[in-house]
Amino acid sequence: MSTAASYLSAVSEADARARAHGGTPNSTPALSLSSSLTGSSEDTVLDDTGADVVDALLYPRVPPTSEQVFTTVHTEFGHCANEKYRFTSQHRAGTPYKSNPEQDPPYYIVLTTYLSYLMVICLGHLRDFIGKRMRPSRYKHLMAQNGYAALNSDFDSFYTRRLKTRIDDCFSHPVTGVPGRTIVLLDRYSPDYNVTMIPTGTRTRALNISSYNYLGFAQGKGACADAVEESVIRYGVCAGGTRLEGGTLDLHLQAEALVARFIGMEDALISSMGFATNSTIIPALVTKGCLVVSDEYNHASIRYGVRLSGASVRMFKHNDMQSLETLLREVISQGQPKTHRPWKKILLIVEGLYSMEGTLVNLPVVMELKKKYKFYLFIDEAHSIGALGPHGRGVADYFGINPRSIDILMGTFTKSFGAAGGYIAGNKALVDRLRLRGHSGTYAEAMAPPVLTQVIASMSSIMGVTIPVEKSSSPALPLLRASSVDTHVSEFEPECAYPGTAPVSALPVWMPLAPTLVDGSDGQMRLRRLAFNTRYLNRGLRKLGFITYGHDDSPVVPLLLFGPGKMAVFSRMMRTRATPIVIVVVAYPATPLVLSRVRFCLSAAHTKEDVDMVLTACDEIGDFLDLKHGAGERWPLQEIIDRAVELVNMPEAP
Amino acid sequence: MSGTTSTLEPLFTFVTSSYAALETNFFKIPGSAVVARYVKSSHQNDPGRTLLEVILIIFAVRTLLQSRTRADHSGKHFIQFDEKEIDDLVDEWTPEPLAQPLTQQEKADLACAPIIVGPNGPKPKLSTGKTVTNLASYNFTGLSGNTIIKERAIETLRKYGLGSCGPPGFYGTQDVHIQLERDIADFLGTEAAILYSQAFSTISSAIPAFCKRGDVIVADRGVNFAIQKGLQISRCTVRWYDHNDLESLEQVLESVEKERRKKKAPLTRRFIVTEGIFDHDGAMSDLPKLVELKEKYKYRLILDESVSFGSVGRTGRGLTELYNVPASQVDMLVGSVANGLSSCGGFCAGSHVVVNHQRINGTSFVFSASMPATLSVAASEGINILRNTPSILSTLQDNVRAVRAVLDRVECISIPSHSASPIIHINIRWPSPATLQLPSATSSPTKPSNPLSVLPRDPPQFDVELEERLLQDVVDEALAQGVMITRARRLRGQELVDVRPSVRLAISAALTRKECEKAANTVKAAFVKVLGKRR
Repeated sequence: MSTAASYLSAVSEADARARAHGGTPNSTPALSLSSSLTGSSEDTVLDDTGADVVDALLYPRVPPTSEQVFTTVHTEFGHCANEKYRFTSQHRAGTPYKSNPEQDPPYYIVLTTYLSYLMVICLGHLRDFIGKRMRPSRYKHLMAQNGYAALNSDFDSFYTRRLKTRIDDCFSHPVTGVPGRTIVLLDRYSPDYNVTMIPTGTRTRALNISSYNYLGFAQGKGACADAVEESVIRYGVCAGGTRLEGGTLDLHLQAEALVARFIGMEDALISSMGFATNSTIIPALVTKGCLVVSDEYNHASIRYGVRLSGASVRMFKHNDMQSLETLLREVISQGQPKTHRPWKKILLIVEGLYSMEGTLVNLPVVMELKKKYKFYLFIDEAHSIGALGPHGRGVADYFGINPRSIDILMGTFTKSFGAAGGYIAGNKALVDRLRLRGHSGTYAEAMAPPVLTQVIASMSSIMGVTIPVEKSSSPALPLLRASSVDTHVSEFEPECAYPGTAPVSALPVWMPLAPTLVDGSDGQMRLRRLAFNTRYLNRGLRKLGFITYGHDDSPVVPLLLFGPGKMAVFSRMMRTRATPIVIVVVAYPATPLVLSRVRFCLSAAHTKEDVDMVLTACDEIGDFLDLKHGAGERWPLQEIIDRAVELVNMPEAP
Repeated sequence: MSGTTSTLEPLFTFVTSSYAALETNFFKIPGSAVVARYVKSSHQNDPGRTLLEVILIIFAVRTLLQSRTRADHSGKHFIQFDEKEIDDLVDEWTPEPLAQPLTQQEKADLACAPIIVGPNGPKPKLSTGKTVTNLASYNFTGLSGNTIIKERAIETLRKYGLGSCGPPGFYGTQDVHIQLERDIADFLGTEAAILYSQAFSTISSAIPAFCKRGDVIVADRGVNFAIQKGLQISRCTVRWYDHNDLESLEQVLESVEKERRKKKAPLTRRFIVTEGIFDHDGAMSDLPKLVELKEKYKYRLILDESVSFGSVGRTGRGLTELYNVPASQVDMLVGSVANGLSSCGGFCAGSHVVVNHQRINGTSFVFSASMPATLSVAASEGINILRNTPSILSTLQDNVRAVRAVLDRVECISIPSHSASPIIHINIRWPSPATLQLPSATSSPTKPSNPLSVLPRDPPQFDVELEERLLQDVVDEALAQGVMITRARRLRGQELVDVRPSVRLAISAALTRKECEKAANTVKAAFVKVLGKRR
């Protein structure tokens, strides 16, 4: 069916390749080095992981012209050459932070939502009641038997069995391949209402608007993957033990130094799992007699860590600065419960970007409060690092606040950097203490070398690399680098300017450096594309009349569905479109009962056409499911698509 | 008199008119007639009931209006301040520094961790430029650096990229993860397995997934830190038995059962939590006896095989293979993919019910991104290699024997580890056994310890600071002679029971028997030299 199209694109591809190889002499050596590593099947359009996958996602809607060169695989990282589809993620100085007002749906929606929960719960109990009498064998594992109490009693598992199972086809869908712009689903079906799932053996390629791949670094081809491959050859896949017991590699130190520089902090430590970064480090920060002031929507890992620490916890209303101030005044004046002794220290834990709400922390106000109330500030930037700010340095960069005025910045590498694990950054004394007192340095495995390399490569790609001027014109750059680094390391150490570039001496000498990585243009392009896509979808959805939460610049876009039944239908309708789209639906207990939502996670890998596609799909399904209850001016779909650039560049959403 | 009536006249008319208006409006509400009739008739039948109901309504309104979170304002201990006072208090308050700078000793403690330049393996190069024999890193089966694994890893990298970019519930479950879970389950012989992306977080998340408040856990006093944290989070009732002492376990089980019968408490979930090979000292559990006890008292067994998986048994299946106990008899078998298969992450294997339950309730499974596909495939390949090459494990055992043969004869040290354990802990043996003794020597079977307390009846006495310093000298001395070993690092003060300082060796199959013997002799010489100086 698409032979003509594939032929055309193959021709343009071959063309692009030829051009790439005949490029400027400056850039050739590094590029050819990296391309020789990727092997003969380098192809920027076709990806042969799913041979039986035929769809519209493989080829760009707008084929590249003869001037355009794309080095990425379109299914992993979409081709988008239009410089208009770019934007800078930045808070406008002098304006207060404002996220979109949380709108309430009409009463009948709330009522039907409650009713449907009530119905499902009643039905579930009825089924349990009858089922236990008619088919006791099915309830065996929920009952005490043989002297053993049930591992999971029927009461405890009611919600999972009777509510979640109904829509289980929307969760834990197995996938394969790169979770980039598109993702390949392994199809499955259930003969018994989602109790068991049976793979059909077929695959479906779908537009992926759910993976945490903000900057599109989930790639099997490209500069980062080349670097990782080199590291696997050199280092293998395992660091071998805990950091303090013979598991520290030179790569760990390099990565930590680079992370510290990226964040703009004195020092940083790396932990091999994002969740564990919080859960194992927070206990080393606060102890009994300390108070943790925590946002009510903080992530499970933070709560886990705080619970382990033994410190007291008080919560304030999500992102409500007034509630925070009232609470602070109360806790400082009252002191510890009963004894009224002053708190040893107060640690405020907030997230940079809330992944369920799409809201950013109101950092300017928090900083003012910090000055007045002298608490320590811990910001979990799991989602915001890389995804926010003109330089991708997270929420501090976004608001133009000096990161060093914040005490602890934590973040993960899973989301924006396409790796795994997390970091904690702060001043040297603090980080050293955490290295020694945190659980992970002593007991948890060190981060694996390929993951470290992905972190180093993607981070330096965002930062750009400083290469000493006199050597940069040389064609045999990597070779010279190798010899120069050993001799005069400190020679090219530039000032620790923030947000600065990565000095070449901070990178492993063997790491292949693509020219786009060195000049930072690749990273800039990613940041600016993400910012555009983000604002476009956020504003587009609201112009269509949907109720969304959060801030316009948040790459996580929650769209409120309310009814539990609508979640499943929304997800299924999206997945079974002509061009399938995979989305994430979230419900209780991750959200309040009536605020079920679908969550879009945008990526720099998406093209404007992809966002158009999502908007179109939402428009159709939104009409079908009666979801458009938002206030404000509405535009027809076509107008939104046509005036996208204008919409994005408006300073204030009209 | 009449004057007052006339002045009150407008008031009366207002009251009656407003009452009339209220009444008509009330009867306009649909269903209000029924309510009125009900109130009237009930008042007629039983006037006392009206009073009761009015009080009830007032109480209900008050309860509803009260803050849910039981604000401290109304509490006994709340002190009312005015704004000015609060401002003063805020100004006065000075917090402690967030972190005290490291002391000289702590700095040294941090700095003494060796830095490896290039790949880790049996003979890594250190940042000092020296190439050393590695008896510190976990590489039991020598899989780290295996070329087949590297090839498969690169292949996977090109197909999947690196990160999985999502938690398992939201498109983070890749086919390679499903494959590895199946491989582990097949390898061990359980129904299913679930993967976590860090070994340390596996058991500290698996325990609270099953054990809630009110459940009973009987745990060994010597369990590792991850288990301790899991127990802390789960908030269940914990009873302790003496380290690796199954008689003590039986006593505790018996006492718990007695207590339950006495209280006539309902049946709760009950678990025995212990380790295969203990991380703290390398001692090994007697699995058949454990299984026997757990069946007798109807407990479920949570066995942490973080050290023993991939290091004992004919092909590295762990304790179950070594003792020839079917893995299906261990209810939750937790292991480390990072240590055992030289990759990253951990797993919990068991029945379908056990595994599926964790897919929703395992905190660090649900809320964390799944492990990178590359590392998952590397682990699968590792299992393949272990299955097909039993010689790896026999080499490992040979090496362990060779090292033990050298070290067991050394006068100034004692080794609490099991003779087959690939991790070997070495304690200092002091010459005067009267004051400073081994834990095993003191546990004379007179009176059992209190199961409610984690501390044993008479805890062994030792001088942590002194021993740590001496052991660090040993480590430095060995390093100078070209053998990298490490002190067993502990978070002193955070561990429930203070662990005796030790040097921990991790033996690898990647070394030859000769190299192991040579390294062991170096370690021995280091001990003799450092401790000999003391005497």
